[in-house]
Amino acid sequence: MSLKMRIFLYGLLLVLCVPFVFPTWWMITSSFKPNASIFAFDFAPSTWSLEPWRQVFTMQPFAQQYWNSAYIAVIVTLGTLVVASMAGYAFARIRFPGQNVLFLVVLTGLLIPSEVTIVPLFRMFNSLGMVDTHWPLILVPMLGPPSVLATFIMRQFFITLPGELEEAARIDGLGRPAIFRRIALPLARPALGAVAIFTFLHSWNLYLEPVVYISSQTKYTLPQALTQFTDAYQGQLWNVQLSAASMTAIPVLIVFVIAQRQFIEGLAHTGLKG
Amino acid sequence: MTLLQDRAATARSAPGRPSYWTMRRRDHLTGYLFITPALVGAVAFVFLPLVLVVWYSLHEWNVLADTFDFVGSENYRKLAEDPNVPGVLRATALFSIGLVVLNLGLALVLAVLLNQKLRGTTFFRVLFFSPVVVSLLAWTIVWGFLLQDNGGVNGLLSLFGIDGPNWLRSGGTAMVSVVVVQVFKNVGLNMVLFLAALQGVPQELYEAARTDGAGRWTVFRRITLPLISPTILLTSIITVVGSLQVFAQISVLTQGGPGTSTTVLVYYLYQQAFQFHAFGYGSTLSVLLFLIVLALTVLQWQMRKRWVFHES
Amino acid sequence: MRRTLAAISVCALLGSLTACGGDEPEAGGPVTLRMTTWSANPAHVELFNSIAAEYSKTKPDVSVTFEALPLENYTTTVTTQIAGGNAPDIAWILEGAAPDFVASGALTPLDDSIENTADLAPAATALWKKDGKLMGYPFSTSPFGVFVNNDLLKQAGQTLPAGADWTWANAVAAASATAAKTGKQGLVIRDFDYKEWSNLATVFRGWGADAWTADGKTCGFDQQPMVDAMTFLHKAIFTDKALPAPGVAADFFAGESAMTIAQISRASLLKEAKFGWTLVPLPAGPSGEYSVIGQGGLGVMKKGKNAAAAAEFVKFFTSPDNSTKLAQFFPPPRQSQLNADTLAKANPLLKPEQLQDVVIDGIATGVVKPSHTGSAEISQAVRSALDPMWKPDADIPGVLRGVCTAIQPLLAK
Repeated sequence: MSLKMRIFLYGLLLVLCVPFVFPTWWMITSSFKPNASIFAFDFAPSTWSLEPWRQVFTMQPFAQQYWNSAYIAVIVTLGTLVVASMAGYAFARIRFPGQNVLFLVVLTGLLIPSEVTIVPLFRMFNSLGMVDTHWPLILVPMLGPPSVLATFIMRQFFITLPGELEEAARIDGLGRPAIFRRIALPLARPALGAVAIFTFLHSWNLYLEPVVYISSQTKYTLPQALTQFTDAYQGQLWNVQLSAASMTAIPVLIVFVIAQRQFIEGLAHTGLKG
Repeated sequence: MTLLQDRAATARSAPGRPSYWTMRRRDHLTGYLFITPALVGAVAFVFLPLVLVVWYSLHEWNVLADTFDFVGSENYRKLAEDPNVPGVLRATALFSIGLVVLNLGLALVLAVLLNQKLRGTTFFRVLFFSPVVVSLLAWTIVWGFLLQDNGGVNGLLSLFGIDGPNWLRSGGTAMVSVVVVQVFKNVGLNMVLFLAALQGVPQELYEAARTDGAGRWTVFRRITLPLISPTILLTSIITVVGSLQVFAQISVLTQGGPGTSTTVLVYYLYQQAFQFHAFGYGSTLSVLLFLIVLALTVLQWQMRKRWVFHES
Repeated sequence: MRRTLAAISVCALLGSLTACGGDEPEAGGPVTLRMTTWSANPAHVELFNSIAAEYSKTKPDVSVTFEALPLENYTTTVTTQIAGGNAPDIAWILEGAAPDFVASGALTPLDDSIENTADLAPAATALWKKDGKLMGYPFSTSPFGVFVNNDLLKQAGQTLPAGADWTWANAVAAASATAAKTGKQGLVIRDFDYKEWSNLATVFRGWGADAWTADGKTCGFDQQPMVDAMTFLHKAIFTDKALPAPGVAADFFAGESAMTIAQISRASLLKEAKFGWTLVPLPAGPSGEYSVIGQGGLGVMKKGKNAAAAAEFVKFFTSPDNSTKLAQFFPPPRQSQLNADTLAKANPLLKPEQLQDVVIDGIATGVVKPSHTGSAEISQAVRSALDPMWKPDADIPGVLRGVCTAIQPLLAK
């Protein structure tokens, strides 16, 4: 490749970077500005103030809300891994009557966004007394439409496993559950990784559902909490809001940068490749 | 073929035991047990609610007065006559088309750029992918802040002597803003999938084409695009279905305005059901959303037959 | 695997059991009442808590918690709580939502739970009555006034027009000149932000305009007074630059604008103000002097778990004694307390003549901000239809006709 071409390509890449990097930079630096000068156009605050970061915790039970989001996302992720890998394995490798019909039944979940069913689900959880609890935020993603996508990814992966491995295990006297646990699952690590990432991010980002189901501040999840930083008379406190947003984004970004290879390649090399 | 192998394996090991619990029967049981959670989930959280949505759409449910009355097709008549619905459908279509075109286009450009033999592509790959892991709400709030009339985007533009518009408050730019914010958020995902597909194209094909004297563009159009078309189809299905579910971005950035220019279907559904307490009519809108998703998916599968190069 | 399954189902079962079981009221046992509010202002919260603490002295088994919800989604959140079977015992109700709540039968009548109901100003309770019964108590009947930043005006060489000169034309001229000179904003209609259009009533009432007729059946946006008022407002925004343009944020209380139209309860934000300020009534419009009131009511939810205990607490919370305490933030509906002396004690920040001009006269002559059954949907429709107005070259009569086309079917419901 010619030098000119290289310079052109690097230039293009740098320009394209701006909308990806600028927001994060602006979010973090603006979160240290006082609210009065929040709209001043400075690449770094003229005076750094930690006050907004402190206010995040005094205005809302932010640590509690952080914990809510984190524990829900972890339970949903673990639950989905269990549900999806079992179902994916069964649909891919075990033959049983009615299999195809049942697979179709499960697969329709892919077609139905959870937004479609939010009203009846709300009523269902309402009659179970589960509105304003975290149950809907755990059960629906773990067993509903989002986990169907996970099941599909797992099935696509298990189908590609060579049959000989299982056969050998059978001759050694292993039963199905043991084959699944000791042979299939360890091999499925990349697919499990991709499913885990997808599921975690999905739960972490969930917004409509918490807005609908949760009404007590101590039960809010992060996305919901982020929109609530206003002063006593509903003036928007941008700097506090941006501090809270930074706190939600930075830890995940750090984990991502450390494990970026696993992240990206895990996603790239799954059944989603088409 | 895996199916056949599997069946053969089951058949061979089946006569191993004389008791009722033959290998085969135990396999059946295991199969059912393994899919039970997923199946229960699909029935409880997908099918049952879907049936209920249709049922509710035939009712009027007033939360405050605590009434739930059968009204037959009343809500569907309302849907047909609702003066907001054409605008809502137009906004939904604009958002989805804009998002799919920009997202897939940009993802493809980025993937091709990163597929060049350049140093530091890993670095750029991480940068472009990073918004995917940033919380959607954090991302949206920051952009909402940047897109204020006196916000960062216009500040940046003014460095180049451009007087930027009031992005979120004027009819023409509000929709563009919402689409673009969403594109930057998720384009990294499609970029990575495209990149993997590009790297799967055999080098020999490129070399053969070059020796035949084909130019860069011809090679891309004739070889690369067809070979990665299954990925394009899959990402476009995911992106389209995802685009119909946009809610947080609208709710934070524009609240459906100005006018109703960014009131997409899901946002309208939320307004009707949870803000105006018209749960019955909200359910009717849900039915409409479901039919749209269904129609689009069927359409895309049909297109697959015609356009997609191969399926292995 | 079976163990996991079992664990999941047990969890689900336990979850529903505890969630259902926890809701049962315990007869005779200690009661915790929950009151939803839209104020997280520490000073307000402190006052509420002190009233609740005092109540617990006489009723040791009753405690009260105040849940502050964001104003933006306040009514949605409360209604969702009701739909979710988790109704608050006592709820604040915004004036816009009042007709829905009052008419629906979701509230318990309060006639026996308010001391000396004859003392309540009829203008204040009109919105809260159904078939002659008081369904909600308008604890806050707060007129809008104009707060003025004296320092900014002085800096721009402007004097505040007074007496008969305090008209909309002069107010906008002063705001425009101050904005141009100081680089700050002129006049901010607090909380309007080009969305909450009902706050514009503080302007268009000066032209005698109404959002809809008193019976709520006919749209008023296309009538001549409204066209005149909106034409004036549009010119003030886009030609005179007296008001901040759409999307421009400016906080009067942080010293960023010369004037603001706000309810007098906002005066507490000026406790630590670093600038000189004053409070005056709304300027006179072409149709003369006028006043606009914003209301907040509180109601006892029929579906709450402790309706009887809640009604009893409301009696205490709204008693004449506590009413004078609340008066420092929320002008009371009690006529006996609507005099400069009582109010001055509660509002050390305001001078007696300010209280007389803005609050006492305001409540006597004031009109409550527009409200209607189904107000969420109507408000949304008006907001969308008004949006084309907020650009420099808008066709004002056309936009206003569009508002009526959009809301007339909703009004007629």
